[in-house]
Amino acid sequence: MKTHGIIPDEWIVSYASGALSEAHALVVATHCHFHPELQQKLDDAENIGAMLMESNRPVKVSNHMFDEIVSEIDGTTIKEKLPSYSDGIPYPLANYLDHKSLDQLKWRMMGPGLSQVRLWTGPNDERLWLLKARGGAKIPSHDHKGLEFTLVLQGSYRVGNERYEPGLLEIADDDTKNHTPIIDHGEDCICLVVTEAPIKIHSFFGRIVQPLIGL
Amino acid sequence: MTSTVFLIDSHYGFHNKGRTMDDPSVLSEISHEQLVIMVARNKDKHAFRQLFDYFAPRIKSYLLNFQITDQKAEDLTQEVMITLWQKADKFDPDKAKISTWLFRVARNKYIDKIRKQKYPEVNADDHIASMVAPDKTDKSIKELQDQGRINMAMAALSDEQRIVIELSFFKEFSHSQIAARTNMPLGTVKSRIRTAFQILRKELGDYK
Repeated sequence: MKTHGIIPDEWIVSYASGALSEAHALVVATHCHFHPELQQKLDDAENIGAMLMESNRPVKVSNHMFDEIVSEIDGTTIKEKLPSYSDGIPYPLANYLDHKSLDQLKWRMMGPGLSQVRLWTGPNDERLWLLKARGGAKIPSHDHKGLEFTLVLQGSYRVGNERYEPGLLEIADDDTKNHTPIIDHGEDCICLVVTEAPIKIHSFFGRIVQPLIGL
Repeated sequence: MTSTVFLIDSHYGFHNKGRTMDDPSVLSEISHEQLVIMVARNKDKHAFRQLFDYFAPRIKSYLLNFQITDQKAEDLTQEVMITLWQKADKFDPDKAKISTWLFRVARNKYIDKIRKQKYPEVNADDHIASMVAPDKTDKSIKELQDQGRINMAMAALSDEQRIVIELSFFKEFSHSQIAARTNMPLGTVKSRIRTAFQILRKELGDYK
Protein backbone atom coordinates (compact mmCIF):
# COMPACT_ATOMS: atom_id res chain seq x y z
CA MET A 1 0.00 0.00 0.00
CA LYS A 2 1.28 3.45 -0.93
CA THR A 3 2.12 5.43 2.19
CA HIS A 4 4.59 8.07 1.03
CA GLY A 5 2.82 11.41 1.10
CA ILE A 6 -0.46 9.84 2.28
CA ILE A 7 -1.91 10.87 5.61
CA PRO A 8 -2.03 8.17 8.32
CA ASP A 9 -5.43 6.85 9.41
CA GLU A 10 -5.42 8.53 12.83
CA TRP A 11 -5.85 11.88 11.07
CA ILE A 12 -8.78 10.54 9.04
CA VAL A 13 -10.46 9.47 12.28
CA SER A 14 -9.78 12.86 13.85
CA TYR A 15 -11.19 14.66 10.83
CA ALA A 16 -14.34 12.52 10.89
CA SER A 17 -14.84 13.01 14.62
CA GLY A 18 -14.53 16.80 14.37
CA ALA A 19 -11.33 16.91 16.42
CA LEU A 20 -9.26 18.93 13.95
CA SER A 21 -8.77 22.67 13.84
CA GLU A 22 -10.05 24.63 10.86
CA ALA A 23 -6.56 24.64 9.29
CA HIS A 24 -5.86 20.93 9.69
CA ALA A 25 -9.40 20.07 8.58
CA LEU A 26 -8.90 22.06 5.37
CA VAL A 27 -5.60 20.36 4.59
CA VAL A 28 -6.97 16.88 5.32
CA ALA A 29 -10.15 17.50 3.28
CA THR A 30 -8.14 18.90 0.35
CA HIS A 31 -5.68 15.98 0.55
CA CYS A 32 -8.56 13.46 0.55
CA HIS A 33 -10.00 15.17 -2.51
CA PHE A 34 -7.01 13.85 -4.50
CA HIS A 35 -7.33 10.23 -3.30
CA PRO A 36 -10.52 8.13 -3.68
CA GLU A 37 -9.17 5.52 -1.25
CA LEU A 38 -8.89 8.21 1.43
CA GLN A 39 -12.43 9.38 0.69
CA GLN A 40 -13.61 5.82 1.21
CA LYS A 41 -11.82 5.68 4.56
CA LEU A 42 -13.35 9.00 5.50
CA ASP A 43 -16.82 7.74 4.60
CA ASP A 44 -16.19 4.69 6.78
CA ALA A 45 -15.02 6.87 9.68
CA GLU A 46 -18.06 9.13 9.35
CA ASN A 47 -20.34 6.09 9.18
CA ILE A 48 -18.77 4.94 12.44
CA GLY A 49 -19.41 8.41 13.90
CA ALA A 50 -23.04 8.22 12.80
CA MET A 51 -23.50 4.82 14.37
CA LEU A 52 -21.94 6.06 17.60
CA MET A 53 -24.28 9.06 17.50
CA GLU A 54 -27.25 6.74 17.06
CA SER A 55 -26.05 4.57 19.93
CA ASN A 56 -26.30 7.53 22.33
CA ARG A 57 -29.16 7.17 24.78
CA PRO A 58 -31.97 9.35 23.37
CA VAL A 59 -32.73 12.40 25.51
CA LYS A 60 -35.88 14.44 25.76
CA VAL A 61 -36.27 17.34 23.39
CA SER A 62 -38.62 20.18 24.22
CA ASN A 63 -42.24 19.70 23.30
CA HIS A 64 -42.35 22.84 21.19
CA MET A 65 -39.24 22.15 19.07
CA PHE A 66 -41.09 20.39 16.27
CA ASP A 67 -43.72 23.15 16.06
CA GLU A 68 -41.01 25.80 15.96
CA ILE A 69 -39.27 23.97 13.14
CA VAL A 70 -42.51 23.68 11.17
CA SER A 71 -43.28 27.38 11.59
CA GLU A 72 -39.76 28.24 10.45
CA ILE A 73 -39.67 25.97 7.41
CA ASP A 74 -43.06 27.18 6.26
CA GLY A 75 -41.68 30.67 5.83
CA THR A 76 -38.38 29.93 4.14
CA THR A 77 -37.22 29.12 0.69
CA ILE A 78 -33.76 27.92 -0.21
CA LYS A 79 -31.69 29.85 -2.68
CA GLU A 80 -29.85 27.45 -4.91
CA LYS A 81 -26.19 28.34 -5.21
CA LEU A 82 -25.02 28.94 -8.73
CA PRO A 83 -22.06 26.91 -9.93
CA SER A 84 -18.91 28.66 -8.83
CA TYR A 85 -15.59 29.27 -10.45
CA SER A 86 -12.92 26.99 -9.03
CA ASP A 87 -9.91 27.35 -11.34
CA GLY A 88 -9.13 23.65 -11.05
CA ILE A 89 -8.53 24.08 -7.32
CA PRO A 90 -9.71 21.09 -5.24
CA TYR A 91 -13.24 21.74 -3.97
CA PRO A 92 -12.50 22.11 -0.21
CA LEU A 93 -9.88 24.79 -0.85
CA ALA A 94 -11.87 26.48 -3.64
CA ASN A 95 -14.84 26.74 -1.32
CA TYR A 96 -12.64 28.01 1.52
CA LEU A 97 -11.27 30.71 -0.80
CA ASP A 98 -14.84 31.64 -1.73
CA HIS A 99 -14.09 30.43 -5.26
CA LYS A 100 -11.49 33.08 -5.98
CA SER A 101 -8.72 32.04 -8.32
CA LEU A 102 -5.19 31.84 -6.89
CA ASP A 103 -4.24 34.89 -8.95
CA GLN A 104 -6.92 36.94 -7.21
CA LEU A 105 -5.33 36.36 -3.79
CA LYS A 106 -3.01 38.89 -2.20
CA TRP A 107 0.40 37.22 -2.48
CA ARG A 108 3.05 38.72 -0.27
CA MET A 109 6.73 38.45 -1.18
CA MET A 110 8.81 36.54 1.34
CA GLY A 111 12.12 36.61 -0.48
CA PRO A 112 13.60 35.76 -3.86
CA GLY A 113 11.20 33.40 -5.62
CA LEU A 114 8.99 32.96 -2.54
CA SER A 115 5.58 34.41 -1.75
CA GLN A 116 2.72 33.56 0.57
CA VAL A 117 -0.92 34.23 1.41
CA ARG A 118 -1.93 34.04 5.04
CA LEU A 119 -5.37 32.39 5.22
CA TRP A 120 -6.09 31.85 8.92
CA THR A 121 -4.48 32.20 12.32
CA GLY A 122 -5.82 30.05 15.10
CA PRO A 123 -5.24 29.50 18.79
CA ASN A 124 -1.64 28.85 19.91
CA ASP A 125 -0.17 30.58 16.88
CA GLU A 126 -1.43 27.94 14.48
CA ARG A 127 -1.22 29.35 10.94
CA LEU A 128 -2.70 28.32 7.63
CA TRP A 129 -1.15 29.72 4.49
CA LEU A 130 -0.46 29.18 0.83
CA LEU A 131 3.19 29.14 -0.20
CA LYS A 132 4.37 29.72 -3.75
CA ALA A 133 8.00 28.94 -4.62
CA ARG A 134 9.68 29.42 -7.98
CA GLY A 135 11.00 26.30 -9.71
CA GLY A 136 14.54 25.55 -8.54
CA ALA A 137 14.22 27.56 -5.32
CA LYS A 138 15.71 26.20 -2.10
CA ILE A 139 13.84 26.79 1.15
CA PRO A 140 16.27 27.86 3.92
CA SER A 141 17.34 24.93 6.11
CA HIS A 142 15.26 24.92 9.28
CA ASP A 143 14.04 22.91 12.27
CA HIS A 144 10.44 22.54 13.40
CA LYS A 145 8.68 23.16 16.62
CA GLY A 146 5.26 21.56 16.60
CA LEU A 147 3.58 19.95 13.66
CA GLU A 148 3.73 21.12 10.06
CA PHE A 149 1.52 19.85 7.23
CA THR A 150 2.50 20.71 3.66
CA LEU A 151 0.14 19.66 0.86
CA VAL A 152 1.36 20.13 -2.71
CA LEU A 153 -1.24 21.67 -5.03
CA GLN A 154 0.95 22.42 -8.06
CA GLY A 155 4.55 21.72 -9.05
CA SER A 156 6.74 19.51 -6.88
CA TYR A 157 9.66 19.50 -4.44
CA ARG A 158 12.15 17.11 -2.91
CA VAL A 159 13.35 16.55 0.60
CA GLY A 160 16.33 14.22 0.46
CA ASN A 161 15.22 11.23 -1.61
CA GLU A 162 11.50 11.86 -1.16
CA ARG A 163 9.57 13.71 -3.87
CA TYR A 164 6.30 15.47 -3.18
CA GLU A 165 3.89 16.00 -6.07
CA PRO A 166 0.34 17.40 -6.28
CA GLY A 167 -1.92 15.64 -3.78
CA LEU A 168 0.92 14.38 -1.59
CA LEU A 169 1.29 15.58 1.99
CA GLU A 170 4.46 16.00 4.00
CA ILE A 171 4.21 15.90 7.79
CA ALA A 172 7.13 17.39 9.74
CA ASP A 173 7.36 17.60 13.52
CA ASP A 174 9.76 18.29 16.39
CA ASP A 175 11.96 15.42 15.20
CA THR A 176 12.42 16.95 11.75
CA LYS A 177 15.84 18.62 11.73
CA ASN A 178 17.66 20.41 8.92
CA HIS A 179 14.52 20.42 6.82
CA THR A 180 15.64 21.72 3.43
CA PRO A 181 13.01 21.34 0.69
CA ILE A 182 14.27 21.95 -2.84
CA ILE A 183 11.70 22.97 -5.43
CA ASP A 184 11.90 21.03 -8.70
CA HIS A 185 12.78 23.03 -11.78
CA GLY A 186 9.86 24.01 -13.95
CA GLU A 187 6.56 25.46 -12.89
CA ASP A 188 6.01 27.27 -9.60
CA CYS A 189 5.32 24.99 -6.65
CA ILE A 190 2.19 25.98 -4.69
CA CYS A 191 1.50 24.34 -1.34
CA LEU A 192 -1.14 24.58 1.36
CA VAL A 193 0.67 24.69 4.70
CA VAL A 194 -0.27 24.55 8.38
CA THR A 195 2.34 25.38 11.01
CA GLU A 196 1.85 25.26 14.77
CA ALA A 197 4.82 27.42 15.68
CA PRO A 198 7.40 29.52 13.84
CA ILE A 199 10.11 27.39 12.22
CA LYS A 200 13.73 27.82 13.32
CA ILE A 201 15.88 28.92 10.39
CA HIS A 202 19.56 28.03 10.63
CA SER A 203 21.26 30.75 8.59
CA PHE A 204 22.03 34.14 10.10
CA PHE A 205 20.43 35.95 7.15
CA GLY A 206 17.36 33.76 7.35
CA ARG A 207 16.89 34.55 11.03
CA ILE A 208 17.19 38.28 10.31
CA VAL A 209 14.51 38.29 7.61
CA GLN A 210 12.21 35.73 9.27
CA PRO A 211 10.10 38.25 11.20
CA LEU A 212 9.71 40.32 8.05
CA ILE A 213 8.50 37.47 5.86
CA GLY A 214 6.19 35.95 8.43
CA LEU A 215 7.57 32.40 8.44
CA MET B 1 -52.76 16.45 3.39
CA THR B 2 -53.76 12.93 2.51
CA SER B 3 -51.63 11.41 -0.21
CA THR B 4 -50.65 7.83 -0.61
CA VAL B 5 -47.20 6.34 -0.33
CA PHE B 6 -47.64 4.85 -3.79
CA LEU B 7 -45.39 7.62 -5.14
CA ILE B 8 -42.29 5.81 -3.97
CA ASP B 9 -43.64 2.36 -4.61
CA SER B 10 -42.19 1.64 -8.01
CA HIS B 11 -38.60 2.50 -7.17
CA TYR B 12 -38.30 1.43 -3.55
CA GLY B 13 -40.63 -1.51 -3.51
CA PHE B 14 -42.91 -0.36 -0.72
CA HIS B 15 -46.54 -1.43 -0.94
CA ASN B 16 -49.11 0.88 0.57
CA LYS B 17 -51.73 -1.81 1.06
CA GLY B 18 -54.48 0.79 0.67
CA ARG B 19 -53.37 2.83 3.66
CA THR B 20 -52.35 6.49 3.63
CA MET B 21 -49.34 8.33 4.95
CA ASP B 22 -51.46 9.79 7.75
CA ASP B 23 -51.59 6.31 9.20
CA PRO B 24 -48.64 6.04 11.63
CA SER B 25 -48.48 2.30 11.10
CA VAL B 26 -47.56 2.95 7.49
CA LEU B 27 -44.77 5.39 8.23
CA SER B 28 -43.26 3.22 10.93
CA GLU B 29 -42.63 0.53 8.34
CA ILE B 30 -40.69 2.82 6.03
CA SER B 31 -36.92 3.19 6.23
CA HIS B 32 -35.39 6.51 7.22
CA GLU B 33 -33.98 6.90 3.75
CA GLN B 34 -37.43 6.47 2.20
CA LEU B 35 -38.89 8.98 4.64
CA VAL B 36 -36.31 11.53 3.50
CA ILE B 37 -37.40 10.95 -0.10
CA MET B 38 -40.98 11.66 0.92
CA VAL B 39 -39.88 14.90 2.56
CA ALA B 40 -37.91 15.86 -0.55
CA ARG B 41 -40.61 15.05 -3.08
CA ASN B 42 -43.81 15.93 -1.27
CA LYS B 43 -42.68 18.15 1.61
CA ASP B 44 -44.37 15.52 3.74
CA LYS B 45 -44.55 16.71 7.34
CA HIS B 46 -45.75 13.35 8.67
CA ALA B 47 -42.63 11.71 7.27
CA PHE B 48 -40.53 14.55 8.66
CA ARG B 49 -42.11 14.04 12.08
CA GLN B 50 -41.03 10.39 12.03
CA LEU B 51 -37.47 11.40 11.25
CA PHE B 52 -37.59 14.09 13.93
CA ASP B 53 -38.87 11.71 16.60
CA TYR B 54 -36.06 9.26 15.93
CA PHE B 55 -33.11 11.54 15.26
CA ALA B 56 -33.65 14.73 17.30
CA PRO B 57 -33.27 13.00 20.72
CA ARG B 58 -30.13 11.21 19.52
CA ILE B 59 -28.56 14.27 17.91
CA LYS B 60 -29.19 16.27 21.07
CA SER B 61 -27.69 13.47 23.16
CA TYR B 62 -24.59 13.43 20.91
CA LEU B 63 -24.22 17.22 21.24
CA LEU B 64 -24.55 17.10 25.03
CA ASN B 65 -21.35 15.03 25.08
CA PHE B 66 -19.51 18.29 24.39
CA GLN B 67 -20.47 19.82 27.73
CA ILE B 68 -22.73 22.48 26.28
CA THR B 69 -25.93 23.67 27.94
CA ASP B 70 -29.21 21.93 27.32
CA GLN B 71 -30.49 25.06 25.56
CA LYS B 72 -27.53 25.18 23.17
CA ALA B 73 -27.94 21.48 22.39
CA GLU B 74 -31.64 22.14 21.69
CA ASP B 75 -30.84 25.08 19.41
CA LEU B 76 -28.25 23.11 17.44
CA THR B 77 -30.52 20.08 17.13
CA GLN B 78 -33.24 22.35 15.79
CA GLU B 79 -30.84 23.77 13.21
CA VAL B 80 -29.78 20.28 12.12
CA MET B 81 -33.38 19.19 11.61
CA ILE B 82 -34.19 22.37 9.66
CA THR B 83 -31.20 21.63 7.43
CA LEU B 84 -32.59 18.16 6.81
CA TRP B 85 -35.91 19.65 5.70
CA GLN B 86 -34.23 22.21 3.48
CA LYS B 87 -31.73 19.89 1.83
CA ALA B 88 -33.67 16.65 1.68
CA ASP B 89 -33.84 16.95 -2.10
CA LYS B 90 -30.08 16.46 -2.31
CA PHE B 91 -30.34 13.07 -0.70
CA ASP B 92 -29.78 9.94 -2.78
CA PRO B 93 -30.97 6.86 -0.87
CA ASP B 94 -29.11 4.55 -3.21
CA LYS B 95 -25.82 6.07 -2.19
CA ALA B 96 -26.13 7.29 1.37
CA LYS B 97 -27.22 6.66 4.90
CA ILE B 98 -29.19 9.57 6.28
CA SER B 99 -27.71 9.04 9.74
CA THR B 100 -24.21 9.72 8.38
CA TRP B 101 -25.39 12.87 6.66
CA LEU B 102 -27.06 14.07 9.88
CA PHE B 103 -23.97 13.22 11.93
CA ARG B 104 -21.89 15.36 9.61
CA VAL B 105 -24.34 18.27 9.78
CA ALA B 106 -24.49 18.06 13.61
CA ARG B 107 -20.70 17.90 13.91
CA ASN B 108 -20.23 20.89 11.61
CA LYS B 109 -22.96 22.97 13.30
CA TYR B 110 -21.30 22.44 16.68
CA ILE B 111 -17.87 23.45 15.32
CA ASP B 112 -19.34 26.47 13.53
CA LYS B 113 -21.56 27.80 16.31
CA ILE B 114 -19.68 26.81 19.48
CA ARG B 115 -16.02 26.54 18.45
CA LYS B 116 -16.46 29.40 15.94
CA GLN B 117 -14.43 27.66 13.27
CA LYS B 118 -15.16 26.40 9.78
CA TYR B 119 -14.93 22.69 9.05
CA PRO B 120 -14.14 22.32 5.34
CA GLU B 121 -15.69 19.29 3.65
CA VAL B 122 -14.21 17.05 0.98
CA ASN B 123 -17.02 17.54 -1.50
CA ALA B 124 -20.01 19.80 -2.08
CA ASP B 125 -23.32 19.37 -0.27
CA ASP B 126 -24.43 16.52 -2.44
CA HIS B 127 -21.34 14.47 -1.67
CA ILE B 128 -23.58 12.04 0.12
CA ALA B 129 -23.79 10.63 -3.39
CA SER B 130 -20.30 9.25 -2.92
CA MET B 131 -21.10 7.40 0.24
CA VAL B 132 -21.77 3.77 0.94
CA ALA B 133 -25.23 2.58 -0.03
CA PRO B 134 -27.45 1.33 2.75
CA ASP B 135 -29.06 -2.07 2.51
CA LYS B 136 -32.61 -1.79 1.29
CA THR B 137 -34.05 -3.76 4.15
CA ASP B 138 -36.86 -3.18 6.53
CA LYS B 139 -36.21 -0.14 8.71
CA SER B 140 -36.42 -1.80 12.08
CA ILE B 141 -34.12 -4.63 11.07
CA LYS B 142 -31.58 -2.30 9.51
CA GLU B 143 -31.51 -0.04 12.54
CA LEU B 144 -31.20 -2.90 14.94
CA GLN B 145 -28.40 -4.20 12.80
CA ASP B 146 -26.63 -0.84 12.87
CA GLN B 147 -27.01 -0.47 16.61
CA GLY B 148 -26.04 -4.05 17.18
CA ARG B 149 -23.17 -3.88 14.74
CA ILE B 150 -21.56 -0.82 16.28
CA ASN B 151 -21.93 -2.25 19.78
CA MET B 152 -20.40 -5.53 18.66
CA ALA B 153 -17.64 -3.72 16.81
CA MET B 154 -16.84 -1.54 19.82
CA ALA B 155 -16.79 -4.66 21.97
CA ALA B 156 -14.05 -6.04 19.75
CA LEU B 157 -11.77 -3.19 20.87
CA SER B 158 -9.54 -3.29 23.93
CA ASP B 159 -10.36 -0.79 26.69
CA GLU B 160 -7.46 1.42 25.58
CA GLN B 161 -8.61 1.35 21.95
CA ARG B 162 -12.23 2.06 22.89
CA ILE B 163 -11.19 5.05 25.01
CA VAL B 164 -9.29 6.78 22.18
CA ILE B 165 -12.26 6.31 19.82
CA GLU B 166 -14.75 7.62 22.38
CA LEU B 167 -12.59 10.62 23.24
CA SER B 168 -12.30 11.37 19.52
CA PHE B 169 -15.99 11.10 18.65
CA PHE B 170 -17.69 12.09 21.90
CA LYS B 171 -15.30 14.84 23.05
CA GLU B 172 -13.70 15.92 19.75
CA PHE B 173 -10.30 15.62 21.46
CA SER B 174 -7.16 16.02 19.34
CA HIS B 175 -4.37 13.44 19.57
CA SER B 176 -2.43 15.62 22.03
CA GLN B 177 -5.54 16.26 24.14
CA ILE B 178 -6.14 12.50 24.34
CA ALA B 179 -2.49 11.99 25.30
CA ALA B 180 -2.81 14.59 28.07
CA ARG B 181 -6.09 13.12 29.35
CA THR B 182 -4.94 9.49 29.37
CA ASN B 183 -1.23 9.96 30.14
CA MET B 184 -0.40 7.93 27.04
CA PRO B 185 2.56 8.98 24.86
CA LEU B 186 1.40 10.80 21.72
CA GLY B 187 2.73 8.03 19.47
CA THR B 188 0.73 5.46 21.43
CA VAL B 189 -2.45 7.49 21.04
CA LYS B 190 -1.94 7.64 17.28
CA SER B 191 -1.19 3.94 16.90
CA ARG B 192 -4.19 3.00 19.07
CA ILE B 193 -6.52 5.11 16.95
CA ARG B 194 -5.08 3.52 13.80
CA THR B 195 -5.52 0.01 15.13
CA ALA B 196 -8.98 0.70 16.53
CA PHE B 197 -10.11 2.15 13.20
CA GLN B 198 -8.78 -0.89 11.36
CA ILE B 199 -10.68 -3.22 13.71
CA LEU B 200 -13.91 -1.20 13.45
CA ARG B 201 -13.75 -1.16 9.65
CA LYS B 202 -13.20 -4.89 9.61
CA GLU B 203 -15.96 -5.58 12.10
CA LEU B 204 -18.40 -3.34 10.26
CA GLY B 205 -17.63 -5.04 6.98
CA ASP B 206 -16.42 -2.01 5.11
CA TYR B 207 -12.76 -2.86 5.33
CA LYS B 208 -11.26 -3.21 1.89
